[in-house]
Amino acid sequence: MKKLISLMLAALLPASLLAGCSSSESGKVKIEFFQNKPEAKSTFEKLAEKFEKENPTIDVVVSTPPDAETVLKTRIAKNDVPDVIGSGLNATFVELAKNGIFADFSNDPQLQNIQPAYVDMIKNLTGLKEVHGIPYSANANGVLYNKALFKELGLTVPKTWDEFIAVADKIKAAGKIPFYHTYKDSWTTLIPFNALASNLPGDQFFKDRESGKTTFRQAYREVAEKQLKLLEYGTKDNFGKGYSDGNAAFAKGESVMYLQGIWAIPEIKKANPNIEIGTFPFPASNDTAKNKLVSGVDTLLTLSAATQHKEESKKFIDFLLKPENVKFYIDEQKVFSSVKGVTQDDPSVSDLKESFQKGLLVDFADHYIPSAMKVDKIVQGFLQKKDMDEYLKTLDTEWNKVQERK
Amino acid sequence: MSKRNTAFYLMTIPAVLLFFAFHTFPAIQGVYYSLTNWNGFSPTYEFVGFKNYVNIFKDENVLNAYIFTFKYAVLTTILVNALSLIIALGLNAKIKFRNFFRAVYFLPNILSILIVGFIFNYIFGHVIPDVAEKMGIEFLKSNILGNENLAWIGIVIVAVWQSVAFNTILYLAGLQTIPSDLYEAASLDGATKWKEFWTITFPLIAPFFTINMVLAMKNNMNVFDHVVAMTGGGPGRATESIAVLIYQGGFTGGEFAYQSANAVIFLFIIVVLTFIQLKFLQKREMEM
Repeated sequence: MKKLISLMLAALLPASLLAGCSSSESGKVKIEFFQNKPEAKSTFEKLAEKFEKENPTIDVVVSTPPDAETVLKTRIAKNDVPDVIGSGLNATFVELAKNGIFADFSNDPQLQNIQPAYVDMIKNLTGLKEVHGIPYSANANGVLYNKALFKELGLTVPKTWDEFIAVADKIKAAGKIPFYHTYKDSWTTLIPFNALASNLPGDQFFKDRESGKTTFRQAYREVAEKQLKLLEYGTKDNFGKGYSDGNAAFAKGESVMYLQGIWAIPEIKKANPNIEIGTFPFPASNDTAKNKLVSGVDTLLTLSAATQHKEESKKFIDFLLKPENVKFYIDEQKVFSSVKGVTQDDPSVSDLKESFQKGLLVDFADHYIPSAMKVDKIVQGFLQKKDMDEYLKTLDTEWNKVQERK
Repeated sequence: MSKRNTAFYLMTIPAVLLFFAFHTFPAIQGVYYSLTNWNGFSPTYEFVGFKNYVNIFKDENVLNAYIFTFKYAVLTTILVNALSLIIALGLNAKIKFRNFFRAVYFLPNILSILIVGFIFNYIFGHVIPDVAEKMGIEFLKSNILGNENLAWIGIVIVAVWQSVAFNTILYLAGLQTIPSDLYEAASLDGATKWKEFWTITFPLIAPFFTINMVLAMKNNMNVFDHVVAMTGGGPGRATESIAVLIYQGGFTGGEFAYQSANAVIFLFIIVVLTFIQLKFLQKREMEM
């Protein structure tokens, strides 16, 4: 029997040994850059190579594992935090920042060169005074349109909600489909939801909701009404088609407009390389000064609070933030820069430039809604039932329930 | 200890250890976490007693998931057992190309549920609406998976299509255990085929009926892959099964402890349900 037990133990041992692997190199300082965007892997690798040429004593390893958020969490649980981290501004980042995993950048001079809207987004989401990362690039969510069809129908880019609906009416009258809704995938219902919720009640609403000054029932009726209005301009099967169906259909010109984020543009161009796409901010209200572009931090850069190579790691971040390198990154990735003065000139998104220059930006509203609420499912359910009172009531009761469970 | 016994221990103990390490231990951990407020990743958490359990009973979404799951599981179990018994009877008869048909009917079982789900997604989303458009069938012109009243039927259809294969094999095995002289005696007595089925075939495959009912019910209660592949629980929460709710709320929703409590209750319900089913069906076996 004793033999048997030792046999078992011998079998289990190698598993525990695997966890102990680590590497060290002589002469060069090795820093790890951990980032979460699989699409950006090769771009960051090219930049790291350039950095290594300028700094021969530093070796940068770019790691982009699949399911990066989970990997990062487990590595932090093991106390093996990467030196430099590139992350989206998401719930994981917020949670980790609150737990003091990342370095504090509040007094970093680099922050002066960043669009203040994005720095505020970090502060608002974490609720901390310190800033635990430097926004690097930004994405946006708006209305994509087919430029050729717009010209053919003699339409111009709408600036207000009424103009927007008038454009949709004209398209409908011409026998074409204004929007290709892809509501089978519940997350796509959040594109118009975010545009409306971020602009009409605004992000301030969530602070007031938390302190009990307001409710969804009081503040979200207009959002609900406009969500339903958009449904009238869809296809015959708004709930039967998903995101990939929508990209393919819009590429083929089946609809004139498409409510999506700029991240869909490369996918659409894959389906039809010749399509001329334009993008405009979703005009949520009739006050043009209030219609802000919904834009979030796509990637932010931060340091491990406990890194052994602080100086070298900071040098790498400063290098990435140099305007020419930012430009290189956004040209390859087709995203926007959060560094002031670097602009995205791709014609498919050039209509959004004005919002960036004026700083007319607002964060995705759903970033402020606890993920346990599953707001995408609530919105999807509402669009099916079309019952506004029930919808607003559900938003309030679900919000309360999640708060109670904390 | 004799050499033979050592060999038997070597055969069983590794499996017991693995089962304990990867199944029993996590289940016990789940019970432990269900008494905390852990979100799944934060380094600290606190004990909150039975708060999670109390909140489960206040959560309409949990009730909604149970209603969907029971509705789905009962209908699917009945359909699967009825259809697979009929198919097994056919495949057990002396027909041409019998082995070919047996292979064809078994095929769905070897395909992964996710792949089947994606194929049917396309069929429901594009093939059926296109055909319905040409033939002018109004209610099929849109994807039924996108309709909150019909989506669950879409999932039932796919689940039945897939799981009939496995249960057919079990029934077929059962049918082959019936000695053929019983049928000869019955035909000498002038029994009709209908009577033959109810007095000979069905009573004699009773143990197979029991195991098929229990297995199908348990599998269907745990439905997960079909839902994830086809609707993700939508539209709204129309097809959200308990397993999907636990997974989505616990991992993406950051309520690991809360959904652990849900899982503990669910485990308890499944155990009770299986126990009742076994008791009832085995008693029936005795009576027949």
